Amino acid sequence: MSVPIGAYLMLSLALLILGLIGVMRRRNPLMLLLSVELMLNAGNVALIGFSRLWDDPSGQVFALVVMVVAAAEVVIGLGLVVAIFRSRTNLDVDEMSSMRG
Amino acid sequence: MATTLSWMVLVLPLVSGLVLTGWPSEPPRAITRVLGIGSILVAFALSVWVFADLLGSPPEERSLTSRAFEWIAIGDVTVDLSILVDPLSVMMMLVITGVGFLIHLYSAEYMGGDRDYRRFFAGMNLFVFSMLLLVMAGNFLFLIVGWAFVGLASYLLIGFWYERPTAVAAAKKAFIVNVIGDVGLVLGAVLILRETGTLDYAGAFAGAGSIGADSGTLLAICLLLFMGAAAKSAQVPLHTWLPDAMEGPTPVSALIHAATMVTAGVYLVVRCHVFFDLSWLAGDIVAVVGAITLLMAATVALQQVDIKRVLAWSTISQVGYMIMAVGLGAYASGMFMLMAHAFFKAALFLAAGIVIHALHGEQNLDRMAGLRKHLRVAYFGMGAGCLAIAGVPGFAGFFAKDDVLASALAGGNVGVACWVIGVIGAFLTALYMFRLLFRAFFGPEPGGGYRPVPHPSRWWMSVPVVILGVLSIVGGLVQVPFGWAGITDWLQPVTGNAPSVLAPTHTTEVVTVITSSVVALAGIALAWWLFGADPARRLRLAGVARSTREVMRGGWRFDEVCDDVIVEPGRTVADVMWAEVEPKGPQGIITGTTALLRGGARLVGASQSGLVRAYAFWMVLGIVAVGIVLAIVVTGAV
Repeated sequence: MSVPIGAYLMLSLALLILGLIGVMRRRNPLMLLLSVELMLNAGNVALIGFSRLWDDPSGQVFALVVMVVAAAEVVIGLGLVVAIFRSRTNLDVDEMSSMRG
Repeated sequence: MATTLSWMVLVLPLVSGLVLTGWPSEPPRAITRVLGIGSILVAFALSVWVFADLLGSPPEERSLTSRAFEWIAIGDVTVDLSILVDPLSVMMMLVITGVGFLIHLYSAEYMGGDRDYRRFFAGMNLFVFSMLLLVMAGNFLFLIVGWAFVGLASYLLIGFWYERPTAVAAAKKAFIVNVIGDVGLVLGAVLILRETGTLDYAGAFAGAGSIGADSGTLLAICLLLFMGAAAKSAQVPLHTWLPDAMEGPTPVSALIHAATMVTAGVYLVVRCHVFFDLSWLAGDIVAVVGAITLLMAATVALQQVDIKRVLAWSTISQVGYMIMAVGLGAYASGMFMLMAHAFFKAALFLAAGIVIHALHGEQNLDRMAGLRKHLRVAYFGMGAGCLAIAGVPGFAGFFAKDDVLASALAGGNVGVACWVIGVIGAFLTALYMFRLLFRAFFGPEPGGGYRPVPHPSRWWMSVPVVILGVLSIVGGLVQVPFGWAGITDWLQPVTGNAPSVLAPTHTTEVVTVITSSVVALAGIALAWWLFGADPARRLRLAGVARSTREVMRGGWRFDEVCDDVIVEPGRTVADVMWAEVEPKGPQGIITGTTALLRGGARLVGASQSGLVRAYAFWMVLGIVAVGIVLAIVVTGAV
């Protein structure tokens, strides 16, 4: 019994939309990071689904790579969040706008 | 053998100049003297050796070329670093190093009180090297190099006392006017290269005939070369720098602006005589310019009160004689005049230097008189020089000027006109030179006597003046009418036998000898009547022809005309460029570009809100847009 590709894609889409809404709605950078993570994993689900469909393991390899990149990104992101928190004691991405052009 | 020695003559002053320049601090004066003066003395000794060597070989073997190495090779054109040792260049070498050595020796004392002793001698050595390069170069390229170096050395030495604004201005003026000439010379050389395919003297002169006698191209070559010659030799209208050049120390005036550099133009015309031989119009233009210059400068010299300016205008006038002679084709006469002039003008300048030195920088004739009791050596030098330059029979200037005029009289209509002007000029020469002599050395001392008493010169300064004075007396004996013709014979291999080469005939010689003697003595007599016999007479006559004399004193207003015609319009153009064209043109393009970029950046910068969530929103919008486009494309394709 195999899961049809449509189910993978639906799950992936649901996760992506959740992540997107999180990125756009949330103000806490930690939540932002979590949402981004969610979107990356939505991509992973789609990759693995296609991997199963074509019976090709390279999709799963990509998923692993994405996980590694995501881990690295989280490390940097958390580091930034902690640094900003130390200097501001307030975590609101809307107030972090010193790079405004 | 001769060429090896010539290379040493050329290199010695350069080496000593470089050593003096590179010496880490101001060297002891003894070392500066040994290097600065000794190198020139050795160069002179070697030049004499070269001269003797050439004299010992038959006339047709007296032209030697020596090539050090190939300097440039472009296509078929090669230019070597080479020197040409022939009677003409050897004669110039002797004059340059001989008179140069005496003037260097003189400078040892004259510049004794100056803190920049080393810089002075380094500059003088550089000048001697440049001048030697100019006369010894074997092709037009190195002629130009020497020509330009001479201008540089002249600039450095006129502006030697750089604290004086007038000296700096004079140096700049000299340099700029000389560069105008340099441009002419370079263009002339390029034209020669185009026509004959080579810059070597031998090849260029051999190819001169193929350009076509009296053709426009040949005339252009001659006139461009003469433009260079006129600037260096201070011929009308490029003469205005020379009187101002007297701001330099007196030995500089004597060496550069009297004896050697200003005669470079004469040398150039003689060296390139093949071209001038073939274009009668160019030769006549040169002669007429020389004649105009000699007459104009002689009238100006009459009215100068600065002792050095009298001599400067006199130099312009005498060089006018030489240019006139070589323009008419009397090359040997011109070179004879050049040599004699080097002797007597150097003697005059150095004697004037003794006066200036003794009077602590006083150069105004109004504050000089009766100096003959105090300054015996200067009196001798000045007296011998005046007798020579005025053309009193027996002295050097007599034979030289006589040779020039007698040749001119044999030179057709233009020659006769030049002869008349030359005779008038000879009269004026005698008048203005003896005016100087009588005013400075005769009459009662100003203010009842000098305080302090003028100090006589020591041997450093006296010896050169005496030697040059003696040369002014006997130097003309190398070429005596109806006797022998030393200079003409010596230069025979260079000037050749072209039909246009002039020489005095028996009749013109007789006419000229009588006329010029009478004229010279008349000029001296008039000078004695005006300035010598009764010093007060000159003051009584001060009101005669005042406005004309004012014009003459100002050098016929050449400087004013030059200001009005060239400098002021140039300044106006520059002002308009500065105020109107530049801000709106190039500067406008630059400011416009930056304004455009800045405005564009402000526009794009508005999108950088700094809100991360806004970025995310725009990103999503972008992704959606790309997705829609992709969907349309994919479904459309399917």
